[in-house]
Formats: sequence, C-alpha cells, structure tokens
Amino acid sequence: MTAKTIVPAVPNQRHAGFLARLTNPRVYCSLIALSLILIVPGVIDSPFVMHVFVTICIFAALSTAWNIVGGYAGQLSLGHMVFYGVGGYTTALLIQHFSLSPWIGMWGGVALSVILSVAIGYPCFRLRGPFFSLATIAFLEVVRLLSIHFTGVTGGAAGLIVPLNLGWAWMIFENKFNYLYIAFGLLLLTLLVSWGIRNSRLGYYLTAVREREDAALAAGVNNTGVKLKAVVISAALTSLVGSFHAMYMTFLEPATMFSLATSIEIAMFALIGGLGTVMGPLLGTVLVVPLAELARGWLGASANGLHGFVYGTVLVIITLTLPGGLVGTFGPRFTKWIDRLPGGGRLHDTGQAPAQRAIVGEVGKPILEAKNLVMKFGGLTATDNVSITLNRGEILGIIGPNGAGKTTLFSQISGFLTPTSGTVGLVGPDGAMTSPSSADEFARLGVGRTFQIVQPFGKLTVLENIMIGAFMRHPKVEDARAAALRAARLVDLEDIKDVEARNLPIGGLKRLEVARTLATEPSILLLDEVMAGQSQSDTQRMVNLIRAIRDTGVTIIAIEHNMQAIMSLSDRIVVIDSGRVIAEGNPQEVVKSRRVIEAYLGEDFVDAQGL
Amino acid sequence: MDVLVQLLLNGILLGSMYAIISVGLTLIFGIVRVVNFAHGEFLMVGMYATYLLGAHLGLNPYVSAVPVIVLLFVLGAMVQRFIIQPLLGADEHIQIFATVGLSTALINLALLVFGADLYSLTVPSARQAVSAGGYTMLVGQLVMLACAIALVGGLHFFMQTTALGRAIRATAQNRNAALLMGVKVDRVYVITFGLGAACVGLASALVIPLYPVTPTIGTYFVLTAFVVVVLGGMRSIYGAFVGAMIIGIVDSLSGYYIAPDLKEVVYFAIFILILIFKPTGLFGFGRGTE
Repeated sequence: MTAKTIVPAVPNQRHAGFLARLTNPRVYCSLIALSLILIVPGVIDSPFVMHVFVTICIFAALSTAWNIVGGYAGQLSLGHMVFYGVGGYTTALLIQHFSLSPWIGMWGGVALSVILSVAIGYPCFRLRGPFFSLATIAFLEVVRLLSIHFTGVTGGAAGLIVPLNLGWAWMIFENKFNYLYIAFGLLLLTLLVSWGIRNSRLGYYLTAVREREDAALAAGVNNTGVKLKAVVISAALTSLVGSFHAMYMTFLEPATMFSLATSIEIAMFALIGGLGTVMGPLLGTVLVVPLAELARGWLGASANGLHGFVYGTVLVIITLTLPGGLVGTFGPRFTKWIDRLPGGGRLHDTGQAPAQRAIVGEVGKPILEAKNLVMKFGGLTATDNVSITLNRGEILGIIGPNGAGKTTLFSQISGFLTPTSGTVGLVGPDGAMTSPSSADEFARLGVGRTFQIVQPFGKLTVLENIMIGAFMRHPKVEDARAAALRAARLVDLEDIKDVEARNLPIGGLKRLEVARTLATEPSILLLDEVMAGQSQSDTQRMVNLIRAIRDTGVTIIAIEHNMQAIMSLSDRIVVIDSGRVIAEGNPQEVVKSRRVIEAYLGEDFVDAQGL
Repeated sequence: MDVLVQLLLNGILLGSMYAIISVGLTLIFGIVRVVNFAHGEFLMVGMYATYLLGAHLGLNPYVSAVPVIVLLFVLGAMVQRFIIQPLLGADEHIQIFATVGLSTALINLALLVFGADLYSLTVPSARQAVSAGGYTMLVGQLVMLACAIALVGGLHFFMQTTALGRAIRATAQNRNAALLMGVKVDRVYVITFGLGAACVGLASALVIPLYPVTPTIGTYFVLTAFVVVVLGGMRSIYGAFVGAMIIGIVDSLSGYYIAPDLKEVVYFAIFILILIFKPTGLFGFGRGTE
C-alpha cells in the first residue's frame, strides 16, 4: 500500500545521489564554510585563536542541539545546561572512580541526561511559553543546588579536577589541535542530526506542533511524543558536548556546569542566527563568540561583564529589529544567490504519488457508534444524551441552531473532548469496535476532522500544510510530498501550493482544511461548516468535492448551516437542538418535522402557519 | 515550640519582603501579560541607587525610598514603552528573549560599573532587635511587614475606587473590549509596568539595610518571586501576598529542619509541582480575580 512498488529499485542510485549532492552549491558552499573552522586555526598558529575556535565549536554545537527543542519544537528551555552539566560530571566521576575512558563514560552521561530530559519534558510540556521556561530554570537550579550540597559526590562548590592522563584514550592532549578535531566532530554531528530532523517527518511534525497543537492532533500527530523525541535527542547531544568540554577544561564546578547565564547564552546564539533554522545557531555563535572572546583578551579583567552586557544588548536589539534572526531574515535572499552558482537551482522533482490506503468494509454497516454522549462544561450541558450511528458510505448531515452542541458532538467523536459520560465506538482495522482515547489515535484509526474556525499552520506553505496530514500514512518526505500534491490537486490548490498558508483567503483556507484532512486518508471525514462564509461558486465546488470524496468510499458527517447544500448532499439528517437529538431521518422527512421548524423558527411561527 | 514560633515569625517577616517584590511581578504579568524576567534586575538597580544615595549623600534608605520608587517607576515605564510595547504582537518567545536580554544586560552593566564586590549600607536603626514575649525581630523586618500590608491595601484601594484602577482592571479582563470602551490601553500598560517596577523600588530601599547588593542579587530574589507568583495564581495580588507568606515560612522552616543550603530546593520543588498539578495556583485565584 505504500510507494515500494513504484520507486524503481536501482542499487547505485543512492550513491550517485550522494555525489550529485556534492555538486549542489548549497552543499559545497556549506562544506567550504565549515572547513574554515579547521583551516583558520591551522594557518594562524596561536593558542588564543585555537581556544576561540574550540569555544566556537562547543557553543555552536550546544546552540544547535538547543535549537532542536527551542527552535523546532518551540519549547524555550532556559535550563539546558542541566544536560551539559550532567554529561560533564558523569564522565569526570566515571574517570575518577572507575578509570573509565571518557569515550565510554560520556554515554553514561547521555543515558542519565535522556532519563532526566524525559522527567523534565513529560510533565512540563503542558506548560505554556514563559512557564515552561521558568520550570526549566527551576530544574537547573535544583540540580545545581544539589550538586553543591552533595560535596562527597561532586566535590561541591570547590569543584572537581579531572585526573590528568594524557592521550586519545583520556581525551586530554598536549597538542591542542586534537581538541579542535573532537570539537569540530561534535559540531558536525549535531549539525547533521539537526539537518536530518529538519528534513524528516519529525521536523515537519515539530513545526506543526509548535504552530498549532490542535491541528497537529487532527493530523494524527502525538504532540507529547514528538516533543519528547526532540528533547531526548537534544539532551543527548548537549550531554556529549558537556562531557567533552569538561575534558577540555579539566575542571568542573557547579556554578559553570549548571550555569543559568550560559543556558541563556546558547539560546541567544540560536535567536541571533535564526530560531528553527539549521545553520542559524552556528552563524549566531560565529558572530558573537569571537567578539566576546576578543573583548576579554584585549581588555582583560577590567572588562568583566562587558561581554555579557554586549550579549544582553544585542539580544534585545535583535528581538526588536530582526525577530527572525539572521538566517530567518536574510536566508531566502542568500539562498537565491547561492543557487545561481554552478550546479544550483535544483527543484524537487515530485515522484508519483504512493498508493492510497484502501478502504475496505461493507457499505451500510455501522462504522461509528456514539452512545449516550453527555458533555458538561461546569453548569452547562452541551450535549445531553446524544446517540448517533454512522453507516459506512453515507453522507450524514448534522443541522441545528447556533449553540445547539453540534461542534461539541464533533469534538467528542473525534477525540478532542472526552465525554462526561457515554462512549464512542469505532470500527478498527480488524473490523471490531474500539474506543480510542486521544485525538491523534482517532486520527490514526481513520477519523479525519476539519475545524469550523480554520486552523492552518500559517508559516508553512499550502503544500507543507497538506504534507503534515500526509505524513500519517507516508512517513517518507518524498512520498508525503507526492501524496499531498495529489490532495492539493483534488481541492484545486495546486496553483498556489507554494504560498504561505497565512496569505490565503477564507475560501482557500477552508479547502486547505479539507485537503490536509484528506491527506490523512481517512475512512470517516468530519466536516465542520466547510461552506460557511463561502461564495456561491465556492459552495458548488465544495458540494461536488464532497460527492467525489464519498465516491472513493469515505463516509462523511457534515455540520452545515447552508440548508440548500446540506439537504441536497445528505443521505440522512440529524437535527440537534439544546444538546439533544430532536429529529433524524431522510432530508424530506426532517424539513417537515414540526419540532425542527419550532427549533429554527419558534413555536409562534409554527402556530401561525397552522402546521 | 519556642523555636517553631520564632521560625514562623521569621518566615512571615521574610515573606513580607517577597510579597513586595512579587506583587510588582504579579501586576506586570496579570495586566500586561508579559513575564518580566528582568524583574530581579530592577531590584538590583534600585538597591544600587539606594546604596549610592546613602553612601554619597548620607540619605537614610527609608528616605531614599521616595526617589528610588520614582526612578524605578520611570525605568519600568520606559522598558514597557520602548521594549515591550513594540513586541506585544510578537511571538511569546520573542517577549521572553527581550526581557531575558534586558536582564543579562543589566546584570553585566552592574558588574562593569561596580565589580563583583558586595556593597552594604549600615543602617543601625533597621538592624535593631525588638523583643516581644521572648521572640526577637529586627526593626527593618517589621517595617517591611508594615509596608507589604500597606502596599496590598493601597493597591486594593487604588484598583477598586479610582478611574485609572478600573481602567487597569478592565484592560486585564479584556484588552480589546477595554480599547473599544475608550481606555488608552497602551498608556495603561506603561503605567502598570511602572507601578510593578515601583513596587520593586520600595522593596530595594527596604532590603538594603539587611542584605548587601551584588550584580546577581536580582536572580536570587526573582526566582523566589516567580515561585510566589505561581503559587498565588499568577494574576492576583492577594494571592501573591499569601503565596509570599507561605514561601517565607517554607524557607524558614526548611532552612532549620532540612538544611540551610537546600531550602531553595524545597521551594523549587513546590514550584514545579504547583506548575504541573495546579497551574491556577494554590487557591484558584488564577482566573478573573484581579
């Protein structure tokens, strides 16, 4: 069912692809720029220059690792040094007590940091913006205070000296160039990981979660899961860098290993370079660190505080003038220049779309059963004992006055709200009824929903928006892109696929909602007022589209206020008023029902008409 | 028993200091909806100002309080006007970075100007001990308690009875509705930020007789103030007052019964637990109780 049958299996292609990539100016320019980090200190033979470049590598690696959580996932950790410190201390203590080489010991640090990152991330990811930052600071402070308190383990405030055994096995060298090799290697590793995430499903998912949690859930993204992945990867990388840096400094003390100021600095480098970009953190570090180190070198102790003052001021100025950072602001223009170099300007050639998930099951049999749904918000009962059954292959219309509880019903049958009482059963892949417990699980079982108030990922393009949906069935980026393009074509968005979603008019946004949901290849499609506020021609287009979707085997429930459209579309109508089902049947019966007319027009009208 | 009562008393007196700082932080968060990471540095600036006035002009800190409060009001108002206001529409993380940057810049500016040395102002009157029923307190601490109560009472009176107070409360409830009712929201924000900073101005004049000033003193106090604000429900000045008393008592008791260097661990642990399990604060003051 995936693309395996379509992609030709030529064994040499991967290899050829790699060589072809090297001739892409984006790749060779990056490699040339990176190699300068090794070349410059090789040419200028000075301990100071060497130190500056090792420091650049260390901080760029820390900042790049931080960016995976702070930039991609948008979780502004200001306590990231906790992982660095844990890495450093673990490695140093393993050398001291067990004579374990730091090359092995650093993995102990990684293990501890990963455990710690889950312990911090899992409970704290539900916190909003500044409170997440505060919680991470609190964790950092707790660990720092504990490391001072348990003097017997860490040496306390007085610090810990790493045993000075020279050689590669001990990561301590007389020839300082070796430090640069390792630091550069760590930088390359973090950049590769960061680049890999950016260009994978995880990267897209992180952006989706950062932009809109609800829309991500509807696309089947396990929000907490992807954020945890990000923090675990970031913590592991940070810990590795911490281990190495401890060997480089050969001295550890709580104030520097768990420093709040440094935690802020690494976040700052990423902001200056461009949050959520691959090269941003490196660029920010390269620009700021040498300035600070030079100031320290020239002015000595009299400049105590100068570099921090410059950092802070630059940070405020950047937030006020270039909130996208350097890469975010100038990146696109710069990339255009690069693409003019020989071999540049390549486009993604989109392959053939992968096969769609086949919908199996007998038409007319129940596919979703909601029983006795009661939803209370404080004193308000939004749905009062609502039961509906959805049969495979039908279009079920749900109508009712404003505030009747239609959207609340939708939210319950798509997992966004857990009913106060009652159950939602869904035919699972094995044909048996199941009751999923979270919205993303509903989505993965084939319930796709759109939102009444559109929820686009504003900073992503139209195609990328749809890709977020497509990733659920097609984890590979190329497959997802091709599948998304197919969905875009279906809803007439192909012409504007590269436009950022926030620039779309409402008609386009409504169709984008449908396309993103369709891309998840649902077996049940929940449409929440997709025709509201649309022009006559857009409405007709949508009606045709819904019919076409049904003809592919998808079962549809639609909430709609546009009576003409919904009556002509639906096989069956359910009418809801004040949280109760007041009528159910085929469209002709329902419009004649006395209770329905009462609900819409009032009792007086019914009496006056003599119905 | 005697020890416990003395510890509780110490806790309340310590809490009154946290109360003054936290009330200012709460005002800014509750109304402007910005978490001011530079709040502690305002305290540091106020303390250096009080120190300079005392060391060079011989002013008693309780007298310096007046000019320092005015200075901090102006500082806060300017920060709002020139840094926060342009960023009100920006992403949350940009606002965080802006105040974090301001905090870093101020700490290091102080380091550049004053160095890392401790500066303290000896005010014998404030350090005088008062005994009552076998328990001892410092005059300076009693003044702080009186000021904390007066501050909360005064703010209550101001918010409930004056037109500006009503405008501030309306803005906190719904910015756009207030705008439509003719409230000059931007001015309300500038004044509120100024008031929040002015509270810290008061705190700095009261703190300096008891604590020496260093460039990083703000970080020490502000982290505690954040704990208090979260405990108090984040938007309520009364919640902040009660939260400050609780943290004061926790500080005092855990310092004695657990270990002096672990008392921060105790209330940071409380902080994390509250954030995770009861984000509306201990008393549910979290919503609509400005």
